[in-house]
Amino acid sequence: MTGPLVFEDVHIRFGSGSRATWAVRGVDLEVPPGSVVGLVGESGSGKSSLAKAAVGLVPVASGRIELGGVDQSGRTLRRRRVQMVFQDPYSSLDPRMTIGESISEALPRGIRRAERRTEVARVLELVDIDPWRATSLPGDLSGGQRQRIALARALAARPDVVIADEITSALDVSVQGSVLNLVRDIQRELDLAVLLISHNLAVVRYVSDVIAVMRSGRIVEFGGGDEVLERPEHPYTQLLLESVPRIGSALGPSDHATRRE
Amino acid sequence: MRTARWRAALRTPLGATAAAGSLALLVLAVAGPVLWGSAAEETDVASMNQPPSGDHLFGTDDLGRDVLARVLVATRTSLGLALGATAIGIALGLILGTLPVVLGQRLGRMVVALVNFLVAFPALLLALFFAVIFGLDARGAMLAIGMAIAPSFARLVQTLSASVAGRDYVSAARIAGVGRFRLIRRHVLPNIAEPLVVNATMGAGGALLAFAGLSFLGLGVQPPTYDWGRLLGEGLGRIYVNPAAALAPGVAVVVAGLVFALLGETCAAVLGVRTGRGPVAGRARHAEQPESGKEAAGTGGDTVLHVDNLTVAFPAERGTSRAVDGVTLGVRAGEAVGIVGESGSGKSLTALSAAGLAPASATVSADRLDVAGVPVLASSEAQLRDRLGTSVAMVFQDPTSSLNPSMRVGRQLGEIAQTHDGTSRAEGLRRAVERLTWVHIPDPQMRAGQFPHEFSGGMRQRAMIGMGLMGRPQLMIADEPTTALDVTVQREILRLLRDVQHDSGAAILLISHDIAVVSQICDRVLVMYAGRIVEELPVDRLDGGAVHPYTRALLASVPDMSTPQDVPLATIAGRPPEPSERSPGCAFAPRCAFADDLCRSTDPVLEVVGPQQRAACWHPQRAESVSGGTAGEMPGGTAGQSPEQTPARVTTGDDQ
Repeated sequence: MTGPLVFEDVHIRFGSGSRATWAVRGVDLEVPPGSVVGLVGESGSGKSSLAKAAVGLVPVASGRIELGGVDQSGRTLRRRRVQMVFQDPYSSLDPRMTIGESISEALPRGIRRAERRTEVARVLELVDIDPWRATSLPGDLSGGQRQRIALARALAARPDVVIADEITSALDVSVQGSVLNLVRDIQRELDLAVLLISHNLAVVRYVSDVIAVMRSGRIVEFGGGDEVLERPEHPYTQLLLESVPRIGSALGPSDHATRRE
Repeated sequence: MRTARWRAALRTPLGATAAAGSLALLVLAVAGPVLWGSAAEETDVASMNQPPSGDHLFGTDDLGRDVLARVLVATRTSLGLALGATAIGIALGLILGTLPVVLGQRLGRMVVALVNFLVAFPALLLALFFAVIFGLDARGAMLAIGMAIAPSFARLVQTLSASVAGRDYVSAARIAGVGRFRLIRRHVLPNIAEPLVVNATMGAGGALLAFAGLSFLGLGVQPPTYDWGRLLGEGLGRIYVNPAAALAPGVAVVVAGLVFALLGETCAAVLGVRTGRGPVAGRARHAEQPESGKEAAGTGGDTVLHVDNLTVAFPAERGTSRAVDGVTLGVRAGEAVGIVGESGSGKSLTALSAAGLAPASATVSADRLDVAGVPVLASSEAQLRDRLGTSVAMVFQDPTSSLNPSMRVGRQLGEIAQTHDGTSRAEGLRRAVERLTWVHIPDPQMRAGQFPHEFSGGMRQRAMIGMGLMGRPQLMIADEPTTALDVTVQREILRLLRDVQHDSGAAILLISHDIAVVSQICDRVLVMYAGRIVEELPVDRLDGGAVHPYTRALLASVPDMSTPQDVPLATIAGRPPEPSERSPGCAFAPRCAFADDLCRSTDPVLEVVGPQQRAACWHPQRAESVSGGTAGEMPGGTAGQSPEQTPARVTTGDDQ
């Protein structure tokens, strides 16, 4: 273990000059080894930008993102110990490459050909996919299976931290459950650190040890899962919690006074 | 499969012609100089500038050489130079086009700007310019034409690779540590190869013409070598003496150009955009009145939607596949009904067919399909537009694509009043502003003058609902209206739908994959699986009262705010059957823990299993048979246990 993934006063900006918009404005966050941190927020809150910055896909304007003293925000890093799984299982695998090739590409360098094959088989088994599937193309797989493959590819790089960005929101609800179970099992088995990003509070609550609530580029609430969800202090967290649709609970009156006569 | 496509293409007239033409050109290019090389060089002073004759089919030139032989021999030079120029153009284009991906943002932008600048010049102008620089010979002309076609090819490569470079798998490869050049070779180029191949083939035809042009002008091939352009130039000087001498190379250029174009078309047909296939099967007019006494639940005198035995089929590889298979449902005036199901369950198609909006390739049939008193299947499209235009409102998942981006929102809404009620433009706009007020859009006067892109996602969805209210809707069909929205906005939209239902008296048909969303505003829920309704129940029975194993599994597999963290989520093994691979018996049987031989052989039908509750299942599961669990407590004290923990619990919501 190389220590926690640390975000320190991270700012992320899109555009420049007068048209610049700040997606992330000063985020401090720590993902300790072997724990699951849930990051909740709505679209535009900056949670995905933060994730992309941690794997070098988006540059940080200021602040640091470090893992074991190594800066993770640069574009060129020989070996990334932070890996990411994306939201859309239909665009995250190269349609022209077999899933074995896709996974093999993520293996650390310096592994021999014969070993590569066993490594691919190993990570495929980790995500409950038959190793003989290594020769199939993504087109032959369902959305849930693809998301498993994407997770296998991330694991192939032997990461210390996996960032899961809305990995179940494109899946059907019946598939979502099995992917969440898998993430939880693997996290425990490999003692991984996971940063789980979702707009779905119930999903975050189910998987995470610690929850951070993000809004307009800032973290507005942070704490243990039960703490944050049972005694939310920030009004925004309270609003989020109230908004989750639940079977058997009322929708509540409209926020608007204006009604048609 | 790829080879099969090529083989199939060869059997089309287009493919066959292209293949035969290419083969002929290839043979000529290889064998031409060998067969006729000496005849083409043989000067015969005695027969200079002869018109066509038995010895010389197209006559002779001013040194008495046979024109036909020269044209045939010139095939190799002409094609070789054209292909060479194309190769240069493609190579340069690929380099320029992929540079932005390699170079990163700032330098990449400069390359893009350079290419944009070069594309602005006509290719022929560039070719002439470069031809003068590189010298007046075949090599110079080849370089010149190659460089002239490079910019447009580079632009194509840039556009295509930019779209691929934005995809997640490229990001994933980057995170995995794949270098920039490998990234291009492994991920970008293979995924843009098809349109490039098509374009390059057609480009070769262009290069051939350009080359002929340069040589004709004396800028390309220099004597003693010759190509078609050169021959054309020579022949044209003597066109009054021997027109055939100019005609023959001209025909050669045209034929070769055509072959390249046909070849490109064939490649496009095999590799390129797959256009909609299969015959367009319209709506099957199957509109006899219900012959059976099959009564849809909720069918009363005031039914706004009456669907009886609806089937929606699509042409498949073998026969047809039924995406909706015998759905019967009814919605009473002012009622809110939800349809729940996973993707592919047929829920959206059911709703679209009800509004007469099924895709053109679908065959829709039903014993009865009435909306707001209008028989949908028996009406023409114009009748439907006219009669359903104001009485049925649709709200779709993606409000970005359902509003016209180039029209102001107020105009768009106002147009409906103008079209259907024949109001003036000003009155239409006034009404639009009023409807925007109804859907709680702040500052409606100002908002009506804005374009859809100036609205947020939730605001656009409000505008869509407002658009539905421009008429006097008896039924509002909302297809996943909140799926693209944030949870706080989702609640607002659901509240709005509920208010609209109360205030306007319109019935609502809400389609969603999320049972919890449906439960918020609906009275009744229909659960669909593999094109059929498997369970129908009142919303207050959802919490513990569902009897179909699929409904129960669906409810149990979704984590809620009280799901215990240390227990794995319930899952449904397997996946729904494709419409084409459906076997006899209950479609859910292969994934069902309770299935037996009866389930696998005989289809269950919807049968009453409780008050206002029906299920299509041979082994309906009663609440008692479910094992209990530890009940969690919700923050704020609201009840929200998952169904399996509290069997047959009666809802005690705040105001229900």
